[in-house]
Amino acid sequence: MNDIHIKGVHEAYFVPTVNFEVATGKCEIEGESYLEETTKFYAPLLAWIREYIDTVKGPLYFDFKLSYFNTSSSKCLVDILDMLKNYQKKGGEVTVNWYYDDSDEELEEIEDFIMETGLQINKIPLE
Amino acid sequence: MESAKETKHRTTDNIAISYTGVFDNEILSVLAKEIEGTLSSDDKVNKKVFKIFIELAQNISLYSLERDVTSGGDGMGVGTMIIRNFDTYYEFSTGNKTTKENIIPVMEKCDNINSMSREKLREYRRLQRNMPAGQKGGGNIGLIQVALTASNPIEYALVKCEDGNYFYIVSVRINKD
Repeated sequence: MNDIHIKGVHEAYFVPTVNFEVATGKCEIEGESYLEETTKFYAPLLAWIREYIDTVKGPLYFDFKLSYFNTSSSKCLVDILDMLKNYQKKGGEVTVNWYYDDSDEELEEIEDFIMETGLQINKIPLE
Repeated sequence: MESAKETKHRTTDNIAISYTGVFDNEILSVLAKEIEGTLSSDDKVNKKVFKIFIELAQNISLYSLERDVTSGGDGMGVGTMIIRNFDTYYEFSTGNKTTKENIIPVMEKCDNINSMSREKLREYRRLQRNMPAGQKGGGNIGLIQVALTASNPIEYALVKCEDGNYFYIVSVRINKD
């Protein structure tokens, strides 16, 4: 299984920067997510997590640093969080940090993700 | 009755950004840059307008009855976007051609969204987020997002066109505070 490295792009669509590392279980999704084909972009990321959970079975540390994501991206983010929650339920070690700017609306979004998935997410204000 | 001069003032005054034409990727990206970078000196307000723009502009690209098919396939929707700048708020409006059958459910969704408290809206968004993705008519979550981002009701209007179709206008205020 290989690492995933995707460089963020801010053009007609916004591709987030993605770094998933097999050796450390450290994963980050950063930047902006507004894609032409959202599910197509997130499918390999979900597949990677599934494979990591099934074969490596190690800890997963997720850092979300998204300054913007549209509603279709948010559906895929919920899919990732659901997968992490299921792993945790089965005894997997999962840490999720969500970095946000100081707007109430962004805090609400994280709280809603927590409610929706039942996953503990550390809310960290961006400096 | 309103004079022609007054009508012109009402519709053209305070315009910060306006665009009419094809809502294709290139144009969306130009408009997005304008909103993000130059609309106001308050980044938070710009971000709110930008978030609303993404959701509503996408609806025009996907659902407008009037289409530019030069790019092939179903083509890209044609419509109008206007951002007006007032003392205490921005007004973001989009308009596109539609049929009555297509737009009545959307107007009902707007009424439903406008009747909800913020807590209820958040609950509704959580529910919608778990619906299967990619369904046509799934513009629901976009509208919920618009209402939550703006913290104001979604206003709409329907104007009958000469060809028997309708021009649907959706409008939302974004407070500057």
